[in-house]
Amino acid sequence: MSALLKKQDDDSQTADGFELTGDAGEQPFELEPVIPDGSERAGEAPRQTEFFLPEQNPEQPEATPQIEFEGMPRPVFGVTLHDGRQVAFQNAATLLESLEAQNIEVHYQCREGYCGSCRAQLLEGSVHYHEEPMAWLNDDEILPCCCIPKSDIKIKL
Amino acid sequence: MAYTTFNRNEFDTFQQPMFFGEHVNVARYDIQKHKIFENLIEKQLSFFWRPEEVDLANDRKDFIDLPEHEKHIFVSNLKYQTLLDSVQGRSPNIAFLPVVSLPELETWIETWSFSETIHSRSYTHIVRNIVPNPAEIFDDITKNEYIVRRAISVTQYYDKFIELSNYYQQLGEGTHKVNGETVEVTMRELKRRLYLTMVSVNVLEAIRFYVSFACSFAFAERAKMEGNAKIIKLIARDEALHLTGTQHMLQIMARGKDDAEFADIAEECRDDVVRIFAEAAQQEKDWAEYLFKDGSMIGLNKDILCQYVEYITNQRIAALGFEQIFPTIKNNPLPWINAWLNSDNVQVAPQEAEISSYLVGAIDSEIDTADLGDFDL
Repeated sequence: MSALLKKQDDDSQTADGFELTGDAGEQPFELEPVIPDGSERAGEAPRQTEFFLPEQNPEQPEATPQIEFEGMPRPVFGVTLHDGRQVAFQNAATLLESLEAQNIEVHYQCREGYCGSCRAQLLEGSVHYHEEPMAWLNDDEILPCCCIPKSDIKIKL
Repeated sequence: MAYTTFNRNEFDTFQQPMFFGEHVNVARYDIQKHKIFENLIEKQLSFFWRPEEVDLANDRKDFIDLPEHEKHIFVSNLKYQTLLDSVQGRSPNIAFLPVVSLPELETWIETWSFSETIHSRSYTHIVRNIVPNPAEIFDDITKNEYIVRRAISVTQYYDKFIELSNYYQQLGEGTHKVNGETVEVTMRELKRRLYLTMVSVNVLEAIRFYVSFACSFAFAERAKMEGNAKIIKLIARDEALHLTGTQHMLQIMARGKDDAEFADIAEECRDDVVRIFAEAAQQEKDWAEYLFKDGSMIGLNKDILCQYVEYITNQRIAALGFEQIFPTIKNNPLPWINAWLNSDNVQVAPQEAEISSYLVGAIDSEIDTADLGDFDL
C-alpha cells in the first residue's frame, strides 16, 4: 500500500510540465470558417449506402430471434404471386422483407404503412397487421410492409 | 353561407360530412368521424424538422464544381420545388378551411399546410448556401416562362374553386349579378370543383413532387449535393404523408361515405380525373425536356425521367382505383430511388448531421474493456 502511494507521489512530481501559461503553442487560432473542399470524400460511396435495409437475410432464422417452443417450429406459409412465382414466408418480420429476401422486387417508400407504395392485391388467404396501416386500402388490398401472412396467400403486386 | 369563426348552432359534430356541412365550432378530437386524419396529424407532428438542422457546407463546394448544364438542372429543379411548395403552403388553408366541417380534418389541413411552409423555408436555406445572391433564383420563378406555365397548371383548379367558394360565402346559392356579370352558384358545381381541386392537389403531391425528387436524388446518388438530398428526403417523407391524406379524402368522397352527392360527382368526373393525370404527366415530360436541354447528367436523362413520370403516374392513378394510363411501363426505371425515399433512414439531429442513423436522445451504453485501456488508478 505504501509503495502504491509512493508511486502516485512520483507521478504527480513528473507531471509538472503541464502549466497554464496562456501560450497556446505554435498553432495559430483560426477564425476563418473552414469550407471543406470535398477531396477527403473523393471516391466515397453515396450516403445512401449507409442506410439500413436489413443487413442480414430476413428469412434466415437468426435474423429475427424468436423464442422457440419445443416441438413447435414457426409455421411456413406459401406466398404465390399472380405471375406464378412462389416463395415461402417463415422468419421475416414483414411480408415485404420476406419478398425482398427472396429476390422479388417490390416498390416501397416508407416501410411503415403510411405511404402506400407497396400496396398489393390479396387474391387468396389472409394477413395479420402488426400495426394499423395508415395508407388508403381497398377491401382486397394489403400493405406488405406491415403485415405477415396468416395462411398461404396469393398476391398480385 | 357566411363564414363564422365559431358556429353557435347546435348540431352533432360527428354527423357532419367532410365539406359543406355545418361550419366547425369546438376543436375537439375526442371522437373522430374519420380517425385517419387524427392519425395523420400525429404522424406529421412526429416528423417535425427544421432545415437548419441539415449541414449544407459541402454542397456549396459541390455546386461550384458542377458543369454548367448540371447547374441548370439543379437550379431549375429547385425553382420548381419552390413554386410547388409556395402554392401548397397557403392554398389548402385558403381553399379548404372555409368549407370544412370536421374538426380533425380542419386541423389536418392546417398541419399539412404548415409543414409545406417548412419546405419553403428549407429552399431558402438551400439557395442561400449555393449562390451569393438568392434573389437571382427567386426572382426568376415569376419570370421564367417554363416555370410560369407550370404555375398556371398547378393553380388553376384551386383558383376556380376559391372564386366560386367566395361567391358562395358572400351571396349563397343562386344566380347573382356581380359587377355586371352573372354568377351562378350551385352546390353541385362547388362540390365538383372541390373534387377536381383535390385531384389536382393529389397530382401535385404524388407525381410532380416525385419527379423533382428524382432529380435531387440523382445528384446525391453520385455523392454530389448530399445536404440538399438530405433535406429533400425529409420533404419526401412529409409528402408521402400528405398524399396519403389526399387519397383518403378522394376515396371517402368517391365512395360517398359521408356525402352521397360526392359519389355521384366522382363518377361523373372519372374522365376528368384521367385527363388531369394525363395532362400532368405530359407537362412533366415537357419539363424534363427543358431540364436536360443542354445535356444529361450521369444516371439521369430525359428518357429515363419520362419513363419515371409514366411509372409514377400509373402507380398513383391505380391507387385511386383507375386503370393505368401507360400500361407498357411495368417496372420502376429508377430502382435506386426507393432507398432515398425510405424514411427509415431519415434522422436529423443537429449534432449528428452526417450520420442519419443517429437517434434523438439515444445513448450508446455499450462499454468495451478496451475503452478503459488508458485508465490508470
